[in-house]
Amino acid sequence: MSANSLQVLAAAGKGESTRTALRVIILCLIAAAAVSSRLFSVIRFESIIHEFDPWFNFRATKYLVANGFYKFWDWFDDRTWHPLGRVTGGTLYPGLMVTSGVIYHALRALTIPVDIRNICVLLAPAFSGLTAFAAYLLTNEMTTSNSAGLLAAAFMGIAPGYISRSVAGSYDNEAIAIFLLVFTFYLWIKALKLGSMLWGALCALFYGYMVASWGGYAFITCLLPLHALVLICMGRYSTRLYVAYCTWYALGTLASMQIPFVGFLPVKTSEHMPALGLFGFLQLLAFLDYVRSALPSRQYQTFLWLFAGGTFGLGLAGLVIATSAGIIAPWGGRFYSLWDTSYAKIHIPIIASVSEHQPTAWPAFFFDLNFLIWLFPAGVYLCFQQLADEHVFIVVYALFGSYFAGVMVRLMLTLTPVVCVAAAIAISTVLDTYLDARSPDPENAKAEEAVEGATKKASKSGLKSTTKPLVGIYSYVSKGVVVTAMTLYLLLFVLHCTWVTSNAYSSPSVVLASKLADGSQHIIDDYREAYQWLRQNTKDDAKIMSWWDYGYQIGGMADRPTLVDNNTWNNTHIATVGKAMSSSEEVSYPIMRQHEVDYVLVVFGALLGYSGDDINKFLWMVRIAEGIWPDEVKEREFFTPRGEYRVDDQASETMKNSLMYKMSYYNYNSLFPPGQAQDRVRQVRLPEVGPTLNVLDEAFTSENWIIRIYKVKDLDNLGRDHASAAAFDRGLKKKRAAKKRAPRVLRVE
Amino acid sequence: MQSLFSFCVLLFATLVSAISTTGDRLLVILDDVADKASYSKFLGDLESRGFNIAFETPKSETLSLFRLGERAYDHVLFLPCKSKGLGPNLTPNVLLQFINADGNILLTLSSGNATPSSLVSLLAELDIQLPIDRTGLVVDHFNYDAANAADLHDVLLLPPPGSVRPDVKDFFSAGTDASKEVLAFPRGVGVALGGGELLTPIVRAPRTAYSYNPKEQAEVVDEVFAAGEQLALVSAMQARNSARLTVVGSAEMLQDGWFDVEVKKVGGQAAKTFNREFAKRVSGWTFQEIGVLRVNWIEHHLNEAGASNESNPEIYRIKNDVTYTISLSEWSWSAWTAFKVPTNDLLQLEFSMLSPFHRLPLALDAAHSSPEAAAYTASFTVPDQHGIFNFKVNYKRPFLTNVEEKNTVSVRHMAHDEWPRSYAISGAWPWIAGIAATITGWLGFCALWMYSAPTDKKKESKKTQ
Repeated sequence: MSANSLQVLAAAGKGESTRTALRVIILCLIAAAAVSSRLFSVIRFESIIHEFDPWFNFRATKYLVANGFYKFWDWFDDRTWHPLGRVTGGTLYPGLMVTSGVIYHALRALTIPVDIRNICVLLAPAFSGLTAFAAYLLTNEMTTSNSAGLLAAAFMGIAPGYISRSVAGSYDNEAIAIFLLVFTFYLWIKALKLGSMLWGALCALFYGYMVASWGGYAFITCLLPLHALVLICMGRYSTRLYVAYCTWYALGTLASMQIPFVGFLPVKTSEHMPALGLFGFLQLLAFLDYVRSALPSRQYQTFLWLFAGGTFGLGLAGLVIATSAGIIAPWGGRFYSLWDTSYAKIHIPIIASVSEHQPTAWPAFFFDLNFLIWLFPAGVYLCFQQLADEHVFIVVYALFGSYFAGVMVRLMLTLTPVVCVAAAIAISTVLDTYLDARSPDPENAKAEEAVEGATKKASKSGLKSTTKPLVGIYSYVSKGVVVTAMTLYLLLFVLHCTWVTSNAYSSPSVVLASKLADGSQHIIDDYREAYQWLRQNTKDDAKIMSWWDYGYQIGGMADRPTLVDNNTWNNTHIATVGKAMSSSEEVSYPIMRQHEVDYVLVVFGALLGYSGDDINKFLWMVRIAEGIWPDEVKEREFFTPRGEYRVDDQASETMKNSLMYKMSYYNYNSLFPPGQAQDRVRQVRLPEVGPTLNVLDEAFTSENWIIRIYKVKDLDNLGRDHASAAAFDRGLKKKRAAKKRAPRVLRVE
Repeated sequence: MQSLFSFCVLLFATLVSAISTTGDRLLVILDDVADKASYSKFLGDLESRGFNIAFETPKSETLSLFRLGERAYDHVLFLPCKSKGLGPNLTPNVLLQFINADGNILLTLSSGNATPSSLVSLLAELDIQLPIDRTGLVVDHFNYDAANAADLHDVLLLPPPGSVRPDVKDFFSAGTDASKEVLAFPRGVGVALGGGELLTPIVRAPRTAYSYNPKEQAEVVDEVFAAGEQLALVSAMQARNSARLTVVGSAEMLQDGWFDVEVKKVGGQAAKTFNREFAKRVSGWTFQEIGVLRVNWIEHHLNEAGASNESNPEIYRIKNDVTYTISLSEWSWSAWTAFKVPTNDLLQLEFSMLSPFHRLPLALDAAHSSPEAAAYTASFTVPDQHGIFNFKVNYKRPFLTNVEEKNTVSVRHMAHDEWPRSYAISGAWPWIAGIAATITGWLGFCALWMYSAPTDKKKESKKTQ
């Protein structure tokens, strides 16, 4: 009975349609796994938008849903970058918001009313399922093995390198961009293999979507021409390549230029020049191809050399002239920092100050990719063995992906897909080889074991491919060991992924969680407490000054105008805020008056030991301000004579007088017995007498003192300066003696 | 019923506010309530103007400027007190708080009494310096009253004050005949004003006057506190919230004895004092009966043909034409009148983001003006810079209450469909022609390609191989 049914099952497993059905089921399960592993944060906390940038995307999405697409396109946002405002509609990648908006309206049309917040929160997990499917398709183009695609899909679904940017609530551009990246690559391979204009056009279409979604589209823009160039250098120029590339480039560039933020960049900036150059080069190649068919070979040789040399020279001269004339923008700062990791540190502190722009530490590779990282070279090696056009792509992608991931932490994201694909190829090759129970039947195998060497040579033909399966896999022991090891690795990988996702990538960072002594979870909700206070207690147009990290959150959660935010488009404005924070009260006050600041918000972690606070970020504020006002703000003066960065009574005078220091430690002493004030982040004891504040009033301090909000005082009603007005309020009399000594200034009407 | 009640309240309110724009509760602080007899004319004038006068001594237990956190009085008049301090109810902090709560103070000094320390430190906060040891006497050996102070020269005779600066509205000068009227300043204390813009002298001492301490410097005046025009006899302070404080150096000049008496200038004719009229004006200014400006309304709108005529929109576009109008009234003793900008002065509008992009004079707009209100207007083009801008009118002049109006608007960029179409720009025609040529050329090529049969098939098949 059971044997019968097994046979039926086995027979069914051999049918093509059953396999397809199985594949569909497996892919669905993988997608479900991908989605569900990203839901930790929703289950632990709530359905909430995470971190910083997602808050802006969420706010923009709400605007889009409320006002429609055209209003969104022309959106002038007067609640950020006060008083400059931001042409938001023209300076963002609208793909993410439009995607959510379309989903929202589609669901409403289907009479399923879903809150836009839930769509935003769950968009990234939903797209991760699609990414897994795209990885499946891409891998299937590389190998004939059926399992490789499924493995790649599974890896893609749960690899922490990708999960880090796509957990539920992480509503960022990368949420949909990685899917688009992988799918565009798949379409490119397809177009290249078939030489098909249709697939090329589809590739351009998805490339356009990618451009609309993420600034990282430049990766595709550079990788595809590079792939084409490598193919040409390998002597693999073909009409297939010509058709695929030209279709993609012409349509894709047109599509990308439709995005207001991109506009004419594809023909103006250096980042896009390789694609344009290769497009021209392919035309030349096609022309030469034609000429070769028309000319005798001797003449053709001279013609070729002259022509190639001339063209190259002309093109280079044109590029140099156009760059120096300013027609083509030179490489941007972010791009330079890709080649020289210390470039940003020296020249553009604002880029260096972002932690995700730092070079990657090597353990991060193991943390984010686990055992895939050592299978990755094996997969690339297997690609070398076959080395068709599509394998060249994987090799090129692997090379550049690894380099960029090494330079910048966040680019780990672009590396992950190729690692998954290569590792899946490697594993599937291993498993296909070792799981093949059928080839040598047991008796034969035993007999053959005795006369090992002889049988091998005697076996049927001299063709290498046919002898290959007979090498070394006769024993069930070795099969068993290898397969078990692989299975173990795979299981460990799953465990690792789940652990990393659960522990490292599922914190919303808006809400902090800590464990109490009894092991229960304690939620530290200071951020939302403070933002809610702002929302309820301040005027609708009260301007909040804070360091730019919190700009998006204030805009999103407190709904108040901010001076600077995470869209760091105006370095001078950020430096102005940095100057206000790092100068003394007398210098800061006019700046705050000029910018109509009503409240100042600082993040202060000393009570709780929360290390991501403003005092720890303070040197970046100083550096950025120094970049604009080198005479007024000097980083050196914030250090002690021995070069230490201190906040205790050894701190330098400039440090103690800076507004940031005063706002952070104002009244902090009152929490402790006299002389016992302790900074738990810097692990130092603070001066006995805390700082005094004259131009600001403390307005709000959150439960754990993480957020402190100060109100900027108005000018004194009686025309005194704030210091003397505050002194009078404290009951100090004006010193007349000091007045007497100085000659009186005569009054002139 | 409710509306009738509120109407009555409103009517009552208008009746009550018929004297001062800020209220009629006046508190007079003096040593002995009986002293008020010598100020009967001055106080009678105040009462006849509708003030509700209460008298208190500084020592009084019931005296309190605030009740339940609100001002209990609208104005305070300090007459000289003999006591050194003013007790716990009139500390400098309380007085400062009173000013911050829009209360007005008229302060009188006298050379006979040392000024209470509370007032001294209040004045010190305002950058008004009193002579050392809190007392002093102003004398002038050239401009004294020959009739009453022939020996001591401590009754100064001054011409009625003119305006401080040519662009400042004059509230205190004499009426028609300035030459005949003189101001008597008997036995007063002069103060020195700091450089702040909130302070203005109303009456300055003549060039030959000086201040000394009659007790300590009776023999030799070795150190002069201040002399000449640096000595302010009557001075005014108007805080940022337009609360007013006036220091009258001589309380005696407000007494009945110096109202309308005959005085005689050195080598001059006998003349009547101008003191009564001056007292009325000084008290009237201090208690906000004159020189009070009110902004009735502010309106700005698009000034473009065919554009919507919406008032005070929150957003404009760059390079829009905009008109701004502000209506101002001035309270003059008993009625709102149209505010006329002094001849040498300008009312200006700023259109600013961080710094002004426009600073324009506002011109009188007769069409929107009435006897009670004057409208001033300016039209301009919004700069080619998007951002959050303010329409700002910042009109702060001595003796006039502060006008600081800020109306915030956003100036947005051009929307994608607000640019002229390409065919409307002549510079684009070559490009349009280029596109047309390319399209026709392509279509022509296609047609040619499709309708020309290949001549030599063999050769082509070779090529592909």
